Amino acid sequence: MVDKPVDVEPSGENVAGEAPVAEPEFVTDDATVHDDDVELERTIGLVGGLAIGIGTMIGAGIFVFPGLAASNAGVAATLSFAIGGLIALLVALPTSELATAMPRSGGGYYFVSRGMGTAYGAVVGLGLWLGLMFASAFYLVGLGHYASAVLAELDVALPFSPVIGIGLLFGAALTALSIGGTENTAKIQNVVVGVLLVVLTGFLSYGVLDAVGVFGGGTVPEQFFSRGYFPVLTTAALVFTSYLGFAQVATVAGEIKDPGRNLPLAMVGSVLIVTVFYVVTIFVATSAFGADRLGQFGETAMVEVARDFLGLSGAVAILGAGLLATFSSANASILSASRAVYALSRDALLPRKASEINLRYGTPHVALLAAGGPILVLVATGQVELLAEVASFLHLIMYGLMCVALIVLRRRDPEWYSPSYRVPGYPVLPAVGALASFGLIAFMQPASIGIGIVVMLVSYLWYRYYAGDVTLKGDI
Amino acid sequence: MNTRPSILVPIRVLEGESIPEGVPGLLTNAHVVLLGYHVVPEQTAPGQARMQFEDRAAQRLDEYEAILEEAGATVERRLVFTHDGQKTIDRTTTEHDCLAALVPSATGPIEDVLVAVRGAVGVDRLARVVAGLFGGTDVSVTLYHVAGDEETDEDAGTLLDGVVERLGDLGMDTSTVETRVDRERDALDAIVGASDEFDTVVMGESDPSLATFVFGLPADQVADRFLGPVLVVQREPPRETDK
Repeated sequence: MVDKPVDVEPSGENVAGEAPVAEPEFVTDDATVHDDDVELERTIGLVGGLAIGIGTMIGAGIFVFPGLAASNAGVAATLSFAIGGLIALLVALPTSELATAMPRSGGGYYFVSRGMGTAYGAVVGLGLWLGLMFASAFYLVGLGHYASAVLAELDVALPFSPVIGIGLLFGAALTALSIGGTENTAKIQNVVVGVLLVVLTGFLSYGVLDAVGVFGGGTVPEQFFSRGYFPVLTTAALVFTSYLGFAQVATVAGEIKDPGRNLPLAMVGSVLIVTVFYVVTIFVATSAFGADRLGQFGETAMVEVARDFLGLSGAVAILGAGLLATFSSANASILSASRAVYALSRDALLPRKASEINLRYGTPHVALLAAGGPILVLVATGQVELLAEVASFLHLIMYGLMCVALIVLRRRDPEWYSPSYRVPGYPVLPAVGALASFGLIAFMQPASIGIGIVVMLVSYLWYRYYAGDVTLKGDI
Repeated sequence: MNTRPSILVPIRVLEGESIPEGVPGLLTNAHVVLLGYHVVPEQTAPGQARMQFEDRAAQRLDEYEAILEEAGATVERRLVFTHDGQKTIDRTTTEHDCLAALVPSATGPIEDVLVAVRGAVGVDRLARVVAGLFGGTDVSVTLYHVAGDEETDEDAGTLLDGVVERLGDLGMDTSTVETRVDRERDALDAIVGASDEFDTVVMGESDPSLATFVFGLPADQVADRFLGPVLVVQREPPRETDK
């Protein structure tokens, strides 16, 4: 057990006269220690960390995107997912180093604010909070599509499309559950992720065998770059939302046991695992139908793929899995958003009131409502691709800045910065990670880029107005 | 004077748990590790709970610390915000090398103590707790063993005599120590039955499912079965291996 002293001293106060909460005295493998005798227990192990990462990510890439991606990029969508995975890995490695040096709540926001100062921190932190809302809304709309498909399967005819209504309903239910629920949600999340991985492994193994001709199915012959090269990159930008989950592991870094070991393993491990699943899924899906037909099925294309392989029971299994996966993704994102609000309010960038805890349930109702409320508004738009891209945009800004923060910290090498995991290939790898993150943004739709920039501007102005005097940067 | 045995006293400090009557008297000769802990749901970051509740919790712990010190104990304290109370209790026990943990319940003045001896394992730590807490007092100690089917009376006698001897080695006046052997159905039922006449019970952690019994079961069930406070002697911690 290594006791790590923490030497960052935030200072200043915001408009309301609140100062950032003092940093802890030191950090051990099992707790964060304040004032010598007050401790915050670390309770999440490696499995829990992996479940957060995988559980957040797997909902989108497998159950929402295959149809959309195939219609944009053809069979080469496989490559788009691989590119997304590679960029995620390029960021996950530097994030691991930062997280082992600063295993505190708030993840990317914390690293950037301590490494590069309050202004960058505020843009990233508020961006993370809003980005997670866009991501949750995206998952909830996906959930709506799956639930509607279930209704269609049951031959329930509705005079209107229930997608958005169901998304709203689940969004409200999830927010209420996380405020009032005292169940052991982490254990449930572990089980859900385990079940999902088993179902998917079975399904994909069958699909791969079928695609190579074992069951006589074979591949629908098709040109790999049927839509050309450029759409591969725009699709990579679109589907990058499927890779946002690993950074959610960092938002609970303050609660992970033995962070020097578990944080890098959980982040890098979850990225590698979901990348394999995504690539194989797209390969199987496009083999079964060809990109054109797959694209026509839209958000629930995987259900048709399963029906093609295994009949009704396959379709039902994938429907169930899709519901579970999108639900767990939305749930994890709402909880992360609430953690982000806490980290911001701890540092006086948001009112202290925002992280207030409900006396009855012991849950942060203000922060959860601050996440859940706007999510409903976003769900109501029903714009799957736009929601996904804005979420990716805001995360990619954070990812790029995390890579930059790592380079800044390594160059200045302050005394308090002593990560137990050091990224290989410095400075090339983090530099490439930063460039790739910022570069991917260029391939998004103009509307997504516009909304993203507005969010960043508003975040910056909020910081200038509300907390211009707060200093969070670590001594260098 | 013996070295003070360190005893963990875990208190759910924000949920109305406090130091029950009689407990300070029981711990007069102890080095108390006072653990105030607060369990928060997973939706809440422990640090968030700290921001809001630290002052109130610290104030309560101040009071408890004063009560225990007034009774003669030395006190070291910790305040922990956690998702998992059991993990916090286990970790604090190990970090502070506590010989025993107290399951607090109210009791009168301590006059007689039941010490459940299960087997030869862990007897040393058990003896250190008993000798340390009650050695210099006029509390009467009864060593109690529930013999198994294949155990002869002689075996049981040897076991308890060994403990008495060990208590003597630790400087305790063994003339007041009584021994008692029962052959009964279930060991736990037997201990509960016997404990009726005593003010407090000292027993080992590995005794009938006590680890879960103590902190796992609803408090009212514990209170139903044991009327007084229970000192649970902890297993020897595994030696720390170098990484």
